[in-house]
Amino acid sequence: MNPMPASEAMVFSPAVPEIFLACAAMALLMIGVFRRSDESRTLSTLSVATLAIAFVLVVIFGREPARAFEGLFIVDQFAVFMKALVLIGSASAIVLAVRFNANEGLDRFEYPVIVVLATLGMMMMISANDFIALYLGLELQSLSLYVLAAFRRDSVRSTEAGLKYFVLGALSSGLLLYGASLIYGFAGSTGFDALARVLAAGAPESTWIGVVFGLVFVSAGLAFKVSAVPFHMWTPDVYEGAPTPVTAFFAVAPKVAAVALFLRVLTGPFGPLVADWQQVIVVISVGSMLIGAFAAIVQTNIKRLMAYSSIGHVGYAFVGLAAGTEAGVRGVLIYMAIYLFMNLGTFACILCMRQNGRMVEDIEDLAGLSKTHPMVAAAMGTFMFSMAGIPPLAGFFGKVYVFLPAIEAGLVTLAVIGVLTSVVSCFYYLRIVKIMYFDEVVEPFDRPIGREVGAILWATGLVILLFIVYPAPILAPATTAAASLFGG
Amino acid sequence: MIIHSLTFYMFAAVAVASGVMVISARNPVHSVLFLILAFFNSAALFVLMGAEFLAMVLVVVYVGAVAVLFLFVVMMLDINFREMRHGALQYLPIGGLVGIVLLAELVLVFGSWAVAPEAADVATIPTPDPTVVTNTHALGSVLYTRFVYLFQAAGMILLVAMVGAIVLTLRQRDGLRRQSIAEQNARRKSDTIEVVKVPSRGGV
Amino acid sequence: MVDFWASYAWPTAKIVLYIIAIVVPLLLAIAYLTYAERKVIAAMQMRKGPNVVGPFGLLQPIADGLKLLLKETIIPAGANRVVFVLAPMITFILALVAWAVIPFGPGVVLADINVGILYLFAISSLGVYGIIMAGWASNSRYAFLGALRSAAQMVSYEVSIGFVIITVLLCVGSLNLSDIVLAQQNIWFAIPLLPMFVVFFISGLAETNRAPFDLPEAEAELVSGYNVEYSSMAFALFFLGEYANMILMSAMTSILFLGGWLPPVDVAPLNWIPGPVWFALKIAACLFVFLWVRATFPRYRYDQLMRLGWKVFLPLSLAWVIITAGVLVAMDWLPDTIAG
Repeated sequence: MNPMPASEAMVFSPAVPEIFLACAAMALLMIGVFRRSDESRTLSTLSVATLAIAFVLVVIFGREPARAFEGLFIVDQFAVFMKALVLIGSASAIVLAVRFNANEGLDRFEYPVIVVLATLGMMMMISANDFIALYLGLELQSLSLYVLAAFRRDSVRSTEAGLKYFVLGALSSGLLLYGASLIYGFAGSTGFDALARVLAAGAPESTWIGVVFGLVFVSAGLAFKVSAVPFHMWTPDVYEGAPTPVTAFFAVAPKVAAVALFLRVLTGPFGPLVADWQQVIVVISVGSMLIGAFAAIVQTNIKRLMAYSSIGHVGYAFVGLAAGTEAGVRGVLIYMAIYLFMNLGTFACILCMRQNGRMVEDIEDLAGLSKTHPMVAAAMGTFMFSMAGIPPLAGFFGKVYVFLPAIEAGLVTLAVIGVLTSVVSCFYYLRIVKIMYFDEVVEPFDRPIGREVGAILWATGLVILLFIVYPAPILAPATTAAASLFGG
Repeated sequence: MIIHSLTFYMFAAVAVASGVMVISARNPVHSVLFLILAFFNSAALFVLMGAEFLAMVLVVVYVGAVAVLFLFVVMMLDINFREMRHGALQYLPIGGLVGIVLLAELVLVFGSWAVAPEAADVATIPTPDPTVVTNTHALGSVLYTRFVYLFQAAGMILLVAMVGAIVLTLRQRDGLRRQSIAEQNARRKSDTIEVVKVPSRGGV
Repeated sequence: MVDFWASYAWPTAKIVLYIIAIVVPLLLAIAYLTYAERKVIAAMQMRKGPNVVGPFGLLQPIADGLKLLLKETIIPAGANRVVFVLAPMITFILALVAWAVIPFGPGVVLADINVGILYLFAISSLGVYGIIMAGWASNSRYAFLGALRSAAQMVSYEVSIGFVIITVLLCVGSLNLSDIVLAQQNIWFAIPLLPMFVVFFISGLAETNRAPFDLPEAEAELVSGYNVEYSSMAFALFFLGEYANMILMSAMTSILFLGGWLPPVDVAPLNWIPGPVWFALKIAACLFVFLWVRATFPRYRYDQLMRLGWKVFLPLSLAWVIITAGVLVAMDWLPDTIAG
């Protein structure tokens, strides 16, 4: 009666990190509920420990490429690399939030638990090898993020951010599902392996309009999640409205996970259709770079600025994806890794922007930071130079690694647009440096900035500074990760 | 066979018509009622396809639980219908444009619809013959084995939804006196009642 | 023409005849359930109950029905007319259609569908619509409050009913109602699953809005709740629907836990009695408990009702599902249809 013996279906060892994270999240939830106290420091510590253990498990169980659950779930070097980035981003978001939440009256134990659950969703996205698995991972992540965006529930802006994010996110999920169903209707399977087989068998001679439409809808749905143009409208409002540590989380972990999805879906099952999706990615990339560069200039709120900056960065990363080659994918991976550290550092600086116990968010408030907080100003300056792509900082190399493969693949115009928009974006990054170093202090920020934030600042700052000296910890795994995506 | 087709077209037509009514009804409560009608007809279509289990689950879950809560909320809302309709008309051109574009795409896609020649080979699980294996059995035998990962993932999503709803809405109110049934039951007569011999003209 | 007669007209006519054969006795049973209720409660309160119309007051329900039939149907001015009229119809129709899948004896069933118990569950969960629509369409505060109460109450108790049904299904291995009855040939499920039997029966009281959970029509505070604006036949339909639901709930109880049409033990004098008679007796016994409870217990407070549903029954029934599944797997007692 049973279609298969139970033992065959129950290959789950590659998914041990995810299973651990799911069980740990539920355990944390129980601890939080039964402690009957809203104080979240203990749970934050436990959650960071959980993520650290998950990190170790990811590395241990990711040595060999493997599939689990009848091919619904895949682990390879690419997945390990992306999951490592996501875990770092999530753990940092919890660490950054401890003091902030305590000060702002948001000290609730659910925050770290929801971050852990969101992380679980992102890891499931990264390891998805089937459209249904992809969708479920994406929804787990998105649902957690909607809640986090509205976490400051007494603030109109935060609830508005949550609601906007929810409505647009639901729309994008709909687009994604619609696209996936068109593809399923064509190929008769939602599994990536089977799709790759079917599409490879017939791709060269003809292109089926149903598949191309499906591909476009799936790309549109995913572009929403990475906030790429033309699906970026929600980003500034959500980034501005959400509590700052949540914004930091939004800017790093979900982006990394969604970019991972893009890479896996486009190079895996749709590898044979590279000619079709390349145009789409080029358009998205150019649009994102332009909007990211020009719309950011007029911003006065630092979180809105970071939102446009993140849109721009997605554009740069996609330059590498547009190349569609292994070197291009490697560039994207390196870019996302560096992007993660730059952004975490910048948001750590933003979390220091507190005057008389109150958070401020205007760029003008940074005036004269170099006199009151020289270390924070130096760190912020480093991150801004890095984001602008000025050598010898890490951000420069990130851009080099995505632009070069694009030129090799013949996308010279795209690379040129990328370089030009980087020059434009220098304006607003360097304006921040100018305000910090050359403007007069109006009102100094509070001190101390807090141990957690300081630690994140130091760690990310060192990564950005030392990348030129010792790039191997990012370069080597990125190389094997990109190879695993194309080799396997 | 003709009866079968007739019933199909009847249910399908009612489902589509009630779908239209859901968005065009003036009163939101009527919209929800039409939504329920649409659910019913979809369930009937499932029955016609031989998917009786899905049909019943659709009714139990969507009509019996989700739509009730929906109706519950809609009935309690105080919505200014005229203002809402005004807004809808304002956005009608854009919405209509998007709708027409989507429709054109659909026509284009299905006009030249092709199924990959390999599609039949890659189907993961063949649909069993409904006369041999009941729906319930067929679903159960793959849901908890092959697709256990997806099943559990869906469970996690629901958990997040629940936690999220509680986080965003539950407010601790001070000064509430809660009933503790255990405490009530643990009370004995001797704890609370004291029989005092009151001397005459003495008072307590 | 012959073909048309044999393949369409005759089966249709046959089904119509079956339906009449089920519905007419059912309506009679409903009428006399109201009589029985008054008599039983009267006896428990040392009164006589109806005893004027006909011998022992036996014609009382007929007289009541006639009176309601002849009264004027009033639709309040502020009411939403369509929904107002639709609500009692829905209540009554739902109470009747559920009987399509009830097996009265071995093979004596109108539609022996595979997912019979799900169908019953679906229909009983729809019962709330009649009430909620009536409450809303009446445009009256009392009716609306009653409707809201009943919506919350019925949705809450459906959850534990669902889990109880799952427990029974685990022991049967089929969703078909006849299979469920036949699985109880050795022992009625009321004995091994006693806690679930109790949970089911109490949830059944809540699901049918009967005392002590009759808050939707609490006469003391809501002056009869959701049906306060109804009169004449519309009211009668609600009334009939409520009693039909009671009978249905009793029938479900007997099928799930008391062995349906099976005799208590399969020995000589007992198994001479035909199945439908046993089934009717079991339903009558359950109904008696319904009435007995009404005469005995005071009404629950609303928060107590919710507490019982969510904090007591839900965990209990959930735990029992797990225990039952565990025991069945550990002892290798799974029914063949599941294990196969």
